[in-house]
Amino acid sequence: MKRLLQTFLIVGSSRAIAPVVIGLFFLFYIGIAFFTDETLIALMAFTRKSIILAAILSLIPLSCGVRILQETVVFMKRRRSLSGKSVDSLPELFDETVELPVSPFMSELEGRLIGVGYKTRRSLNTLAAWRGISLFPARMLFLTATCCLFTGILISVTSRTSDRRMVIEGESMPMPDGTGGTVERITLANSSGSILAKTLTMEIAPSNSGQGKKTFGLYPPALYGGSFVYPRYLGLAVLLRFSAPDLQAGYDTHCSLNTYPPGKEDNVVIPGSPYRIVLSVPIPAANSERYVSYMSGKINLLFKVLKGKEVLFSGSVPAGGEFMRDGYRLALPDVRRLVITDFIGDYGVLLIWAAGLIFATAVSLWLPIRLFFPRREMLLSFEPDLIRSCSRSEGRARTHAGVFHEVLDLVDARKV
Amino acid sequence: MAIILKTIPHLLAWSVIVLVSFRGFTGRRSVVTLSSISGLIIGVSGSCILFRSFPGAIPFGIIKSILGLSFLLLWGVSVASGYSNAVRGEAFCRSKQFFQSSICAGTVTGIISMVAGAVSVCALPVTGISALSMVFLALSSALIAYFIVYAVRFIEKRLPESFMVSPLGMVVSVVSLLLFSSSSILRLDLFSPLSMKVMKGIHDFVHQFMESILIPDHLFVRPIVWKYIGFLFGNGVGFWGAMVIWFAPVFLIITAFLSERLPSVAHIRQGAQRRTLLAAAVTLRRCRLVMPLLSILIFAAAAYQSSYPSVEYWDPKPLAVTASQAGEIFIPKKGEINLEDGKLHKYLFKKGDKEARFFVLKGPAGQLTVDLDACAICKPDGYGQTEGTVICYYCKTLIPLETVGKPGGCNPVPVQFTEKADGVIIDAITLINSWGATVQATARVKEGGK
Repeated sequence: MKRLLQTFLIVGSSRAIAPVVIGLFFLFYIGIAFFTDETLIALMAFTRKSIILAAILSLIPLSCGVRILQETVVFMKRRRSLSGKSVDSLPELFDETVELPVSPFMSELEGRLIGVGYKTRRSLNTLAAWRGISLFPARMLFLTATCCLFTGILISVTSRTSDRRMVIEGESMPMPDGTGGTVERITLANSSGSILAKTLTMEIAPSNSGQGKKTFGLYPPALYGGSFVYPRYLGLAVLLRFSAPDLQAGYDTHCSLNTYPPGKEDNVVIPGSPYRIVLSVPIPAANSERYVSYMSGKINLLFKVLKGKEVLFSGSVPAGGEFMRDGYRLALPDVRRLVITDFIGDYGVLLIWAAGLIFATAVSLWLPIRLFFPRREMLLSFEPDLIRSCSRSEGRARTHAGVFHEVLDLVDARKV
Repeated sequence: MAIILKTIPHLLAWSVIVLVSFRGFTGRRSVVTLSSISGLIIGVSGSCILFRSFPGAIPFGIIKSILGLSFLLLWGVSVASGYSNAVRGEAFCRSKQFFQSSICAGTVTGIISMVAGAVSVCALPVTGISALSMVFLALSSALIAYFIVYAVRFIEKRLPESFMVSPLGMVVSVVSLLLFSSSSILRLDLFSPLSMKVMKGIHDFVHQFMESILIPDHLFVRPIVWKYIGFLFGNGVGFWGAMVIWFAPVFLIITAFLSERLPSVAHIRQGAQRRTLLAAAVTLRRCRLVMPLLSILIFAAAAYQSSYPSVEYWDPKPLAVTASQAGEIFIPKKGEINLEDGKLHKYLFKKGDKEARFFVLKGPAGQLTVDLDACAICKPDGYGQTEGTVICYYCKTLIPLETVGKPGGCNPVPVQFTEKADGVIIDAITLINSWGATVQATARVKEGGK
């Protein structure tokens, strides 16, 4: 059992796991690219369906976890050895180990090392010297971020659900499972932020199911009933009435129009008839706000009435108004703002966000330390007629090696 | 004579490969000589048989796949070298003995020469080659291979000792030479299709990434921010992304060499001896860097050759056409232009401030096809025609004539039309809508395409 655990730790902590897994997925990607242009989507779909692929992907966070454990153990052991508490398995903890058959003379060595900028610690039979800051915290953050990122990707790829609904002013908030409170107001306004040009606010009244009053913005998207509310596009919910000389009865329909940005056309087909009505929001004059109609609620829709392929007539009709000609009548008694919204069930997103933050922290720690204060350590442990000298560095290795060699030369020159 | 000239760059590339093999497999000169000559002959004959057995683009596809695999192998080796360095180079030390064995030397040089021979044959007009010509080609290749190998042996003996080829250096230089050789043959070129795939891949990745972390759509984002994001969908991303993938293995190998640990000299108590040993190690490392550094130049030459191929395309100036009162564009089959001559004929239709560029082509199967002079992926730089293919000027992807008229990928977008006895009829609105829907708003429509 112990041997099995050891094998697992050795394999799991291998640095080769991440590149091998990424390489495998890359090869798979190349293979799929021969058959479809939607390669990435196809690869994600395969990973979602295949337990084997998901298991292979999960090796990366697993390996990161094992590495965190293993590197923490090594770090603690090295700390113990530098503090003189334990001098076991030194060669495994350091880059270089040399044994010299000489007796100790610590004071001179210590003075020499202090002289070249090292801090020292003396115990009964060891002399430790070090300078700089360890990259261990940055490394741990990096491994944690990688673990979070790939766990997030794995959760996201295998379990993400997406449900597109229309959030309409004055109606109940549609939810993947049931309905929420009434959408009291949808507000689009200009923003002074450096990234977002607009703010979109959806105010939801308390629901019968116990949800309190909620307000949803753009970013970061908030959770509602276990799903992220992810606003995608703007549109209009319209009650449309149409009658024509050859239509026995008038036609009434509630329809959702995907007509933003202005100029984009959407159409309403009158069932059982050759009629089709194409609607769009007029493009505002140059240099004026493009979404002014949505912001103000003063909406005027351009329309074309088609019979088959023939355009019968076109014009514009305001929200709440109507248009009549030659026995035709088009009326829009009710026009409301709507937001085409995706309800995303995906907790992997939280891990991906966390990974982004941790990566940023890790890099901002790693870079200055690696450039200006890399950790360099040496440990001399004394035994009767023998000095065991160990050295390691996380940067400026040549200079550190020079100091290490000088110390060894000094020890050798003074041998007794 | 022209045919012989066409093969010269490929034979030169192969000569350098043989030279590198002689230095890489030191002490295995006779094995390398024999396997190089036999490999080239097998490669030439094998590819001739392929061209006789399979129609159209299949033989090119097979050889291109082998080249693609060699590039993937280079990637694998370069990543492994970096990682083996991180664990102190143990894996490569173990494999060094096998690498120097005669079995490895013979197999590797034989396979490389086979591929080089196959690439050389692709430069020749071998489609439908007769059996007699095939035998002649095989015999000539044997003769040429014999002379080249012995000339290379002669040169190699006179090269300085410091010109050394490590196993990694050999892999990188051989792959770079094979890719350089193939980049001059449109149907074997890897760099341009790679650019196209990278462009599409980055586009998909950015889109998926933004959706995955729920970033708001562009209508909510400041135009300046969107401009920065839009850079990832721009012209140069495919090219520069492909450049990164193209050169990364060499740089990984160089980094692996540079970050190799110097030998431990802490046990030596004479400073001068320590310095001598370290200096020798540094010199050795520099000598091993020569081949990867040269490979950078070869890779650069291959990328350049791929981006600016010395091939002339049939690319006629688009003729302006108009629609009838009924909104139909009629293009006669005969007259000033013969639509059935198998060549691509371009037209430009303008309606108000909108315009659409399209072409009519009679394919190898004898059927006319009408297509936009644009695909659904790239900017509409248009298409040119060369032997058996049309090429997308934007991403340099070759589309076999057999598949023109079929939608998908970088194929020209097909347009519905009606074929009459005397010409083809295209609906003007359909054409304009199809162009508008296909081509991005930022696309530029230039008369003349390219």
